[in-house]
Amino acid sequence: MALQPVAKLPFEGLIADARSHKLGKWHSKLSERALEQYAEIGWPGPKTESWKYTSLNKIASGTFSLAGEYSAIVPEDMIMPLTCPRVVLVNGVLNKELSNLEHLIGNLSITSLVDIEDHQKTFFDDLFKSEESKGDLPLTHLNTAILSDAVMLEITEGSKCELPLHIISIGSGNGITFAPRLIVNVGIGAKVDFIESHVGCSDSAYFSNSVTQLYLGDNSEVGHYKLQNDSRESSHISLTRAVIDDGASYDNFTMSVGAKLSRNEVRAHLKGSGVECCINGAYLGAADQHIDNTTFIEHQAEGSSSREVFKGVLDDTARGVFQGKILVHPEAQKTDGYQMNRAMLLSDKAEIDSKPELEIYADDVRCSHGATVGELEDELIFYLCARGIDRESARRMLIGAYISDAIDEVKNIDIRSSIQIVAENWLKQNLYEK
Amino acid sequence: MSLLSIRDLHATVGGNEILKGINLEIGPGEIHAVMGPNGSGKSTLSYVLAGREGYEVTRGTIAFKGKDLIDLAADERANEGVFLAFQYPVEVPGVVGMTFLREAYNAKLRYLGKQEIDAMEFLKFVRSRAKTLNMSDDMLKRAVNVGFSGGEKKRNEILQMAVLEPDLAILDETDSGLDIDALKLVSDGVNELRSENHSMLIITHYQRLLNYIQPDHVHVLAHGKIQRSGGKELALELEAKGYAEFSEEAA
Ligand SMILES: Nc1ncnc2c1ncn2[C@@H]1O[C@H](COP(=O)(O)OP(=O)(O)OP(=O)(O)O)[C@@H](O)[C@H]1O
Ligand SMILES: [Mg+2]
Repeated sequence: MALQPVAKLPFEGLIADARSHKLGKWHSKLSERALEQYAEIGWPGPKTESWKYTSLNKIASGTFSLAGEYSAIVPEDMIMPLTCPRVVLVNGVLNKELSNLEHLIGNLSITSLVDIEDHQKTFFDDLFKSEESKGDLPLTHLNTAILSDAVMLEITEGSKCELPLHIISIGSGNGITFAPRLIVNVGIGAKVDFIESHVGCSDSAYFSNSVTQLYLGDNSEVGHYKLQNDSRESSHISLTRAVIDDGASYDNFTMSVGAKLSRNEVRAHLKGSGVECCINGAYLGAADQHIDNTTFIEHQAEGSSSREVFKGVLDDTARGVFQGKILVHPEAQKTDGYQMNRAMLLSDKAEIDSKPELEIYADDVRCSHGATVGELEDELIFYLCARGIDRESARRMLIGAYISDAIDEVKNIDIRSSIQIVAENWLKQNLYEK
Repeated sequence: MSLLSIRDLHATVGGNEILKGINLEIGPGEIHAVMGPNGSGKSTLSYVLAGREGYEVTRGTIAFKGKDLIDLAADERANEGVFLAFQYPVEVPGVVGMTFLREAYNAKLRYLGKQEIDAMEFLKFVRSRAKTLNMSDDMLKRAVNVGFSGGEKKRNEILQMAVLEPDLAILDETDSGLDIDALKLVSDGVNELRSENHSMLIITHYQRLLNYIQPDHVHVLAHGKIQRSGGKELALELEAKGYAEFSEEAA
């Protein structure tokens, strides 16, 4: 057996394996480029500003291998509870048996990288290249470098999808790492809602390094709803990047309840004017969970609005992080930006770090932000108890109401109710007084 | 037998003894008014009866329908039939009024081992009660007390009382902050509930309320003790003379 060279970077050793893994020669070139870029930026450490509150040391020092198994049983009780067509990925690779694509209508197409010949991949090439200039996202390059598959959804110009599409990413296996990659291309004037459920099999401890990139054509309408319910021993680091053209509307919501360590990073680039962009979320953390929500909204053109509402509940020694940056370019006059992060701490040992950041270069803008931290007031609990409601139910009602406030931001009513159910289940399972 | 029997009740709040030996008997169907200077312990008494945490009974007994109340948690007391209309009702963000009422109502039914009520039936029942208190449907759809005016909050307390039909209602200054019409409505609500099965303990600073709700007994609470008891004429006397005779020295 040949000696492995000592890896300088976390996962560097795996990258070579990944090249011969699933995607063949085409991926080798892409992967080499990605490795170069990843090596140039390096692994985020304690001095990396954007990773100040979330340490990746545990992931860096862990031993991971690439997955070898791409089938699993869908953990139905962990995914977003909703009946609609599914696209299922197991360890980052599309699994057609588990997916039910027969209900898809013609104007929505799904392509998997594994399925197509190398010469057909040039289109993907361009899409990957467009991500390369992003100097501060080493984990995105790592995702590209160890890719086993990528799934592209295309919605043709002007088509309206009635049913939402449910993309389910399942992690299965201990000590494995995988890189789900989703590309969503929405044509001019098209309308679609889709869900991402990130879940794990039983108590698998894995590292999911997920990237979703979206392109929203002029006047398109996209609802993008994510449930992060990965298994409690896993790590979930994800980037969602949306490039949004004129007059389009993007409604993004992330519900984070799973994983031991998670980061949900959303970057929205409002290229066009008259864009309506919502980046919202809720997070519920218990035990020693660490939940990071990091957002970046870039107003590049005039007259767009963005809205962010995040609410979290943290119990035990759970820790939350919210970093929200809004950048307004000089051209982006008449920008309307709103950002709010509220957290409720249920224990003395729970913690939240909140870092809002406004960088505004235009003069005619309206931007506001705020953050609050509170606890559940005894006076409120007593009021409910004095009406006959037991303490535990009272707590559940009050915390549920608190978190609903953020969930109410979700524009798709059915999906809003599904997220509500996820929250209620979490409260039932996790909320008891110690 | 008394519905509520308080004997030599001592209670502390934050380490201070506030109630210093209260004796009070309330029979079925009786209405008792408690008056007394600010800070004399009236709200403290109501919280001790309702079972608020931090209000510690250090001596004495409270029997309700023959049961020892002190051992019961706040929700159990409520389901046994004790209701407190708060002096300062809190805002409950995100919890819709109607949902709140239904949860409370069903909690009691469950406690009594009965079937939960049908949602439509309950809606009709609440609407009829709300109507007599001149409360709009809109108020029931909003989060409990959130953004309500002071008077609206008080009316909402009475609505909850009218829906839950407690054996013993403790009204802590429900009349404060009500306009003349609302005072009339609230009094009507109280009088409607009044019957041989429903007793009340009404804490008030104003004799005016007692014109609408005729009490059977009036008590003066000062310095943590009931200093004097009498009929409704005692309220008139207090209105005229104030609480001078119950000053620390006099007590
Ligand atoms: N948490 C607390 N710690 C210490 N003292 C308290 C606490 N809560 C109440 N008290 C004191 O207990 C006393 C009685 O208060 P209470 O609210 O019962 O008075 P009250 O008779 O209802 O007065 P009012 O007519 O103004 O409503 C007051 O002196 C008050 O300051
Ligand atoms: Mg008082």
